[in-house]
Amino acid sequence: MPLISLSPDIPWLSLVWLSMLVPALLITAIPGTQHTLIRWIGTGFAFVSLVLSLLVFFAYDPVQGGFQFVERAAWVPQLGISYYLGVDGINLPMLVLNGFIIFTGALMSWNISERMKEYWVLLLILTTGVYGVFVSLDLFLFFVFYELAVLPMYLLIGVWGSTRREYGAMKLTLFLMAGSAFALIGILAVYFGSGLRTFDMVRLAENVNFSRAYQFAFFPPLFAGFAVLAGMFPFHTWSPTGHVAAPTAVSMLHAGVLMKLGAYGCLRVAIWLMPHGANDWLPVVAVLTVFNVVYGATIAMVQRDAKFMIGYSSVSHMGLVVMALAAATEISITGAVLQMFAHGIMTGLFFAVVGRMVYERTHTRQLPELGGLGRVMPFAAVMFIIAGLSGMGMPGLAGFWAEFTIFIGVWERYPLIAVIAVISIPVTAAYILRAMYRVFYAEAVNPALLNLPPLTWQEISGAVILAAILIAVGIYPTILTEMINQSVVPLVQQLELGGL
Amino acid sequence: MQFALTDVPRILPEILLLVLALLVLGSDVFERWANTDAARTEQHRASASLAALGLGMILIIALIQSGYVYRLPDDAPINFLTNIVRNLQNGGPASELATTPILGAFATDDLTMIGRLVVIAAAFLTVLLTYDARPTANPGEFYTLIIGSTLGMCLMAGSSELIMTFLAIELTSIPLYVLAGYFRNDRQSTEAGMKYFLFGAMSSGILLYGMSLTYGYAATAAVTQGSTGNNLTQFERIRELVAQAGEPTVLLTLGMLFLIAGIGYKVTVVPFHGWSPDVYQGAPTPITAFIATASKVASFILLFRLLTTTFPVLTGAADVIIPVEASTFTGWTSLLALLAFLTLIVGNLAALPQTNAKRLLAYSSIAHAGFLLMGLVAWSASLAMDREAGIASLLYYLVAYTVMNLGVFGVLYVVDQHTRSDEISVLNGLARRNLGLAVLFTIFVFSLAGIPPLSGFFAKFYVFMAAWQAGAEWLVIVGLITTIISLYYYLRLLRAVFIVPPDTDAPIPTPRWMATSLVLSALLVIVLGLFPNIILTIIDNVQAVAGR
Repeated sequence: MPLISLSPDIPWLSLVWLSMLVPALLITAIPGTQHTLIRWIGTGFAFVSLVLSLLVFFAYDPVQGGFQFVERAAWVPQLGISYYLGVDGINLPMLVLNGFIIFTGALMSWNISERMKEYWVLLLILTTGVYGVFVSLDLFLFFVFYELAVLPMYLLIGVWGSTRREYGAMKLTLFLMAGSAFALIGILAVYFGSGLRTFDMVRLAENVNFSRAYQFAFFPPLFAGFAVLAGMFPFHTWSPTGHVAAPTAVSMLHAGVLMKLGAYGCLRVAIWLMPHGANDWLPVVAVLTVFNVVYGATIAMVQRDAKFMIGYSSVSHMGLVVMALAAATEISITGAVLQMFAHGIMTGLFFAVVGRMVYERTHTRQLPELGGLGRVMPFAAVMFIIAGLSGMGMPGLAGFWAEFTIFIGVWERYPLIAVIAVISIPVTAAYILRAMYRVFYAEAVNPALLNLPPLTWQEISGAVILAAILIAVGIYPTILTEMINQSVVPLVQQLELGGL
Repeated sequence: MQFALTDVPRILPEILLLVLALLVLGSDVFERWANTDAARTEQHRASASLAALGLGMILIIALIQSGYVYRLPDDAPINFLTNIVRNLQNGGPASELATTPILGAFATDDLTMIGRLVVIAAAFLTVLLTYDARPTANPGEFYTLIIGSTLGMCLMAGSSELIMTFLAIELTSIPLYVLAGYFRNDRQSTEAGMKYFLFGAMSSGILLYGMSLTYGYAATAAVTQGSTGNNLTQFERIRELVAQAGEPTVLLTLGMLFLIAGIGYKVTVVPFHGWSPDVYQGAPTPITAFIATASKVASFILLFRLLTTTFPVLTGAADVIIPVEASTFTGWTSLLALLAFLTLIVGNLAALPQTNAKRLLAYSSIAHAGFLLMGLVAWSASLAMDREAGIASLLYYLVAYTVMNLGVFGVLYVVDQHTRSDEISVLNGLARRNLGLAVLFTIFVFSLAGIPPLSGFFAKFYVFMAAWQAGAEWLVIVGLITTIISLYYYLRLLRAVFIVPPDTDAPIPTPRWMATSLVLSALLVIVLGLFPNIILTIIDNVQAVAGR
């Protein structure tokens, strides 16, 4: 039984994404000089959206499973497009993840004062898109929200970013838009191939009837289109550059949730709607993700810039997610969804520490130039250690359960790949410990760094929330795995029926 | 076939446009001679407001006549008001009269009606844009030319006969030549006018040649079949003769090729696009907006009507990638698919290195012609339903294209009024100098780039769907790839607006009526994008006519 019950008359899922669009419109009406008011509106509504997504999370009945809180209305009936929302155990954790990341991201954005009105509007529009993608069950609606989530990034990085921001912004946007164009080819192929003339994903998945050759031809654009956003090798190069250039809250959202949109699209659209194609192509994907996991981790090892290191660690960790999706077993997909959640929270915490607490005070992220910060800001050091341990897969933290499940799942299907991928675990431990030592415990290279302004309450509360979740999920993973598994089982069954 | 009194309400919008044109021209005479700036402004505003009011009223009348917003029920009470509405709507596209063209030459069906509405609305928004502008010389003539050209475009949209087609095209083009070169003291404007005229004259020649070949074929067929020699220039009549003759001959194909080439100039399809960047750059900005939108809408509707009514035997298939040999050329959809391919590639690649905003948008507008052609290409589909999707997507695209281009050129015009330049660099830091204007600009540019939920996205999406279903998957993939290329130059515009710091922080004012015009366009861009079903239900009406 769910913990709470919500009235079915209220469109909860619409409220979730509207709670981000409404403040965006509200802030446009406020003069840009009202800094505090804008910050409070943005953060307040981010909190509202978090509460709403948590309400839905706790009211979801994991025993019953399936899509709940379904909302449906005709939108463009001529083309079979409808406004169709619903959540199951796969997208619900993502919804909550986004809630946490946007709320803490909003807290981390309080230091932005230059052109802040535009900043907040763009940030909120981006989040609207992310929420929308996670709740839509109509392919067209999914795509609309998907683009809405990607595009504001260009301006957010271009205007408020740091290192090589214009280059990073343009590269990121062109890569992601190229990805979505390829995904669109696949979407049109599904629409016309099925002959149903509908964009309703549930109906499309129930009636997969296009030929094996057709799926073989159109699975690659559909999968690769979304995999670009998930940072799959060899389409990952935009991701570290983009992460480094982006302002802190945007890095958090970006590595924390946006890359998950890609992996979620791979699962929910590509694998679900084209099982034959998945069957033929997923081994190739699995091989490619080995590069992600191992190569990403080794590259992270040699980075001098802390944000680049986290960027490549994201490539490596997201590689694990895609690898688990490629294995497509019940256990591995459960692990993939759990890893998306755990990695989202963990990266959020990493960027909050490195991008906000450290960089905003020291104005450098070069590991050799930092040092001795453990004495100046012990709180940041503790947070970094928690995130780092979760990233290494330390038992007791969320990352452990995720990686453990993934390796078990992948072993079932591709034992050799699982063995190779395990190499990444010691490498990850090495680069995280190295960075931890360099930043917090090594001898201070620059004495100026020993005298830094204290942390603000926004920084502290944001980091505490994220760390608390890592620990909570680490101690009691069932809160997520139960509902994920409930939804993954029918999905995998359907894939097997569909030919996988 | 005779002109009956009942035909008068059917061409009411055209009659009113003619009256308005004469009125604006005449009213100039009653203005006092202007030799001071204040008087010139007054004179300019008098003409502008008369033209705007008139066009607005004609737009409303056309809307009532169309019955798209409100259709008078048959059992409505009879009073003064309902009589007016009923009489208007009896001349509208829903009445029985609309099934046959007037004198076989001017159809008043839904296709014409949509064309009229778009064209008149474009003229209205253009005039609104110029209201607060620096006064032009002889404003009465300026606006008369705009209205006259609008009249020509309405006739193009409804023309169903070769001679009518030619006259309508000339009535549209000649005022536009003059308008493009309206700034006599500006070298670029003069060059634009001259170039537009020379290219236009040549395209008219090509068009006429195509018409004479087609007529020649029809006349020969009529003689061999022993039927009457009447009405040989009507689209319908030519189609019947071709159908009876069996296999189409090379002569007919040749005639069709010249016709496509002639109209191809008007819609800036590669390789007939050479004039447009120079003309777009040189012409006064509101005129550029008008040329880029309204004249393209009218030309596309004409091209559609001409090809689908006259040459259904030569439709062909769009799945041929490149017709290498003559034997693989199966009809006009193959040809248009090839032209769309070239247009997409050339338009988008040539836009990349541009430094002048108007020139960049000229190439972007060429690229959009490629997307629009995809809607026509969809006519090769075997199912009537899919062909209808083609025309519906074409019309939706035309509407979306018109509003977003009017908007984007409008913003450039506002900036141009202040800085007297239309290089991309004058947009630098627009977000700091006028945030509202920058937001409007972003909406238009994103819509042009095809970003949801704006109408430009749905337009592209719908056109892709139609083309895909017609078997032109390869063209859809080319379209998607070029869309990504296009994103680079659209983002360059936004980079200037948001990221590059300005030389000066002095705010750029937006005069009231310019702002009104821009906000109206932006609202349409957003609303049509969010609720495409509103306009799709209207477009559905067209299919009944066009789906023959």
